[in-house]
Amino acid sequence: MDITEYIKLVFTDYTLRTITLGTAILGAVTGMLGSFAVLRKQSLLGDAISHAALPGIAIAFLITGAKDTNTLLIGALISGLIGTFWIRGIVTKTHLKSDTALGLILSLFFGFGMLLLTFIQKQPNANQAGLDKYLFGQAATLVESDVWLMAIVTGICLIVMLTFWKEFKILLFDADYTKTLGFNTKFIDILITSFIVLAIVLGLQTVGVVLMSAMLLAPAAAARQWTNSLSIMVFLAAIFGAFSGVFGTAISASQNNLSTGPVIVLVAAVFVAFSFIFSPSRGLLFKQIRFIKNRRDLELHKTLAFMHHIAETHEDISHPHTIKLLNNFQGYTKSTLQKLVEKDYVKLNGNMWSLTKTGFETAENLYTKQTTEDE
Amino acid sequence: MSSAQIEIQLIASIVAVACAIPGTFLVLRKMAMISDAISHSILPGIVVGFFITQDLNSPLLILLAALTGIITVVLVEYIQKTGLVKEDTAIGLVFPALFSIGVILIAKNANDVHLDVDAVLLGELAFAPFDRLLTGGTDVGPKSLWVVGSILIVTVTLLILFFKELKVSTFDKGLAASLGFSPAIIHYGLMSISSVTTVGAFDAVGAILVVALMIAPAAAAYLLTTDLKKMLALAIIFGIFSAVFGYWVAHWLDASIAGSITTVLGLVFLLVYLFAPSKGIIAVMYRERQQQTEVSLLTFLLHLKNHDELEERHVNHLNEHINWQKVRAKTVLDLAQKNNMITIEKNIVSLTKKGNEFTSKAINYIMTNEDTQIEDMKDDFFLFRG
Amino acid sequence: MSKIAVKVDDLTVAYNYKPVLWDIDLEIPEGVLMAIVGPNGAGKSTLIKSILGILKPIAGSVSIYGKPYTKQRQLVAYVPQKGSVDWDFPTTALDVVLMGTYGSLGWIKRPGQKEKKAALEALEKVGMLAFKGRQISQLSGGQQQRIFLARALVQNASIYFMDEPFQGVDATTEIAIINILKELRKAGKTVIVVHHDLQTVPEYFDWVTFLNVKKIATGPVKDIFNDDNLTKTYGINYKVSIQE
Repeated sequence: MDITEYIKLVFTDYTLRTITLGTAILGAVTGMLGSFAVLRKQSLLGDAISHAALPGIAIAFLITGAKDTNTLLIGALISGLIGTFWIRGIVTKTHLKSDTALGLILSLFFGFGMLLLTFIQKQPNANQAGLDKYLFGQAATLVESDVWLMAIVTGICLIVMLTFWKEFKILLFDADYTKTLGFNTKFIDILITSFIVLAIVLGLQTVGVVLMSAMLLAPAAAARQWTNSLSIMVFLAAIFGAFSGVFGTAISASQNNLSTGPVIVLVAAVFVAFSFIFSPSRGLLFKQIRFIKNRRDLELHKTLAFMHHIAETHEDISHPHTIKLLNNFQGYTKSTLQKLVEKDYVKLNGNMWSLTKTGFETAENLYTKQTTEDE
Repeated sequence: MSSAQIEIQLIASIVAVACAIPGTFLVLRKMAMISDAISHSILPGIVVGFFITQDLNSPLLILLAALTGIITVVLVEYIQKTGLVKEDTAIGLVFPALFSIGVILIAKNANDVHLDVDAVLLGELAFAPFDRLLTGGTDVGPKSLWVVGSILIVTVTLLILFFKELKVSTFDKGLAASLGFSPAIIHYGLMSISSVTTVGAFDAVGAILVVALMIAPAAAAYLLTTDLKKMLALAIIFGIFSAVFGYWVAHWLDASIAGSITTVLGLVFLLVYLFAPSKGIIAVMYRERQQQTEVSLLTFLLHLKNHDELEERHVNHLNEHINWQKVRAKTVLDLAQKNNMITIEKNIVSLTKKGNEFTSKAINYIMTNEDTQIEDMKDDFFLFRG
Repeated sequence: MSKIAVKVDDLTVAYNYKPVLWDIDLEIPEGVLMAIVGPNGAGKSTLIKSILGILKPIAGSVSIYGKPYTKQRQLVAYVPQKGSVDWDFPTTALDVVLMGTYGSLGWIKRPGQKEKKAALEALEKVGMLAFKGRQISQLSGGQQQRIFLARALVQNASIYFMDEPFQGVDATTEIAIINILKELRKAGKTVIVVHHDLQTVPEYFDWVTFLNVKKIATGPVKDIFNDDNLTKTYGINYKVSIQE
């Protein structure tokens, strides 16, 4: 299947269109809210919340006996929130550290959820099929109403975010200061946290409990590398998230036996790796290049300084010296000598070298600069 | 009890002990989430190892998968070092990616691999007794029992050999380095043990339960003691109890053994969290209330000591200036009187000699930052607590 | 005596039920440039934070020009410790200074041209106009501190609270900051600074409060900044050479 054919299929095929749209919207909203989670240093909270949502799904099913997505998601939402607040309770009221609290809630809620799920599976009414899709997600089960729900929640989320943009931003940066300005920081905090929980719950059906946290973190972590502006970061994270959804769906649809969730996560991971390496200002590649360039400059300067040291002993600064002399100096290589000649700091004559006037002055300057810096 | 049932409980208990030991140190070193990351990211290692060995219990597979665990740790630390993202984000980025690779590998080779992701996450302890180890034709017990048993022996040996080093490097990295124990070796040693334990145990109990077994018993023990050896012992006891009791709950409910062991662990933690004598939530809240009244009392006594003016010492001043509600003001006054710290005459409050002495001592301790002494002092001076 | 800008009454604050500030009575007259000094853990930052309502005291009250703080917010500006925020946050110097206008804007309303102009002026005042578009992690410690100061200046308050503004800044910035603070005092504002360097107290400030859980002394530097009070505050036999 080639690309144009696939694109045509996205527009004509109901299932594919629904899934593509659903994963795109989901990627956008989690990317957006994930930016806040990352900046609040709550990256792993998402992982804990998504796992904590599992028993809620099972209990909602046990109570209502219905497989209706919305009911189950409300259950997930409630148990996700309980998990979140319990984590806070553990951290504030006991001496246990936040990572222990996260790991505890994550594994305990998940285990309890599994107990309930296996319990449900053994029940005589066969209506329970499909609950385990919440483990790894099954994008294929998305229907139009699910996508509508996602779109509506994303819309509300967008409106709230734009309305309280200023408040979100200042709280994320400096909570104490925000308080002194008279803002109700608790309210803003609860608003942000609730939306993060909501986004996670929304994604459970598509990417599942286990991988949900990556949807939250990866687009935001990638976006952070390309910009120093919060608004652009949130926007980019939404774009990266949406593209991860679309590409992930496309890749998994074009192959057999590929579940959508893990593929989406891997696409997002590729975005992250690419951003980490190739971002112009923060990326590892350019950092390495700058590092090497600095080191070269330093070597060049050292050689020049060494030559200056020799030339100083003669009255005529341009008095020729043999190249062999330079071999005593560790940093010396033929290419550095060549570079110095190119810069017109040094003249070569056979196997003799001599400093030019500019070379001597540059070396002199280097020396004084260094001593002032040392002071 | 059938022999299969006994074997299941034995395997679960051994896993619980093998997890509790590294778990205790992970919790103390604030690295609990690393165990979660390892438990997920070993999946691709297991799959690749399975392609090579075709045997889930092969030692080679365990080593390969444990290597993936170490790679995870190294990768997380590398990303943290670049400073491109905050520390915990690095964990959250690495393990889902590796886990996804594992899931996809399994899915792509579903026909060749007798592995499914649910089993990796949840394990199937119930089947463990059916996979027997045969040596020279004689049945010497279930394979998993041998696997987790060997891991436990290694873990315990290492624990005994390096207990001192582990202890010092956990509580004081600087001291450990100055004594000549490389913190890096201890760190990676602990990570290796955690990885090996996770891999060895996942087949029996699944990745998530491994995390629960590592963190929950240690966290519960942490709330009960401050002594490292006691904490280890308690964590092991909680682990074994949950393993055995959890098995019977699963048996009774006819549900996942891993899930029900985790649930029992959860209940154990909940009970400890609520009722632990000094660090439990109820004790903390009770003490907070008591402390609040006693700190208020201290405040009030100091106020009396600072001010000779009559209007500053009038009972009504408590509500007006110190900003206390009537009820609180009355509690504080009552407590002060019961302890013979103050006398009230015509609504003017004065310090007694005992009150004066107590206040001077208290302020001295607080200013010299020896405020822990105040608690002892309260025992000496107070007839009634707040 | 001039008006009282800040009045603290019987203030007690406790962390984990351990008193950090104990029965503090304090009156800060309008128009002083005051240093709060004391050893580590004396509760200096805590005092500022509880005056500003960031921490909840267990007893006592605070008033700003005779009214509770919550009614007088627009009169007060705050410069937190530089280390209290994440400087890798994706935002620019100008953006941070603009945050100073959020309080007067209130909920939802966004900063407009007027606010931007004020922010640029404040940046100019601290000598950071050239850096307005710079990402805040690319600023030096001194420059970051100036940005924080500019953010407070934008608030156009009557009383300024600053938590260790000279911590980790270069000498030029220290002089620049103290000049701005002196200017503020000249304009009749009250400036309260948590300060570490005892040597510079007589040179920079005209008012001082000694604090160590209790209030030790408060008043004009020339009257009370002496070895006696220093010893009472720092516990050991403390001597400082006071330059006249």
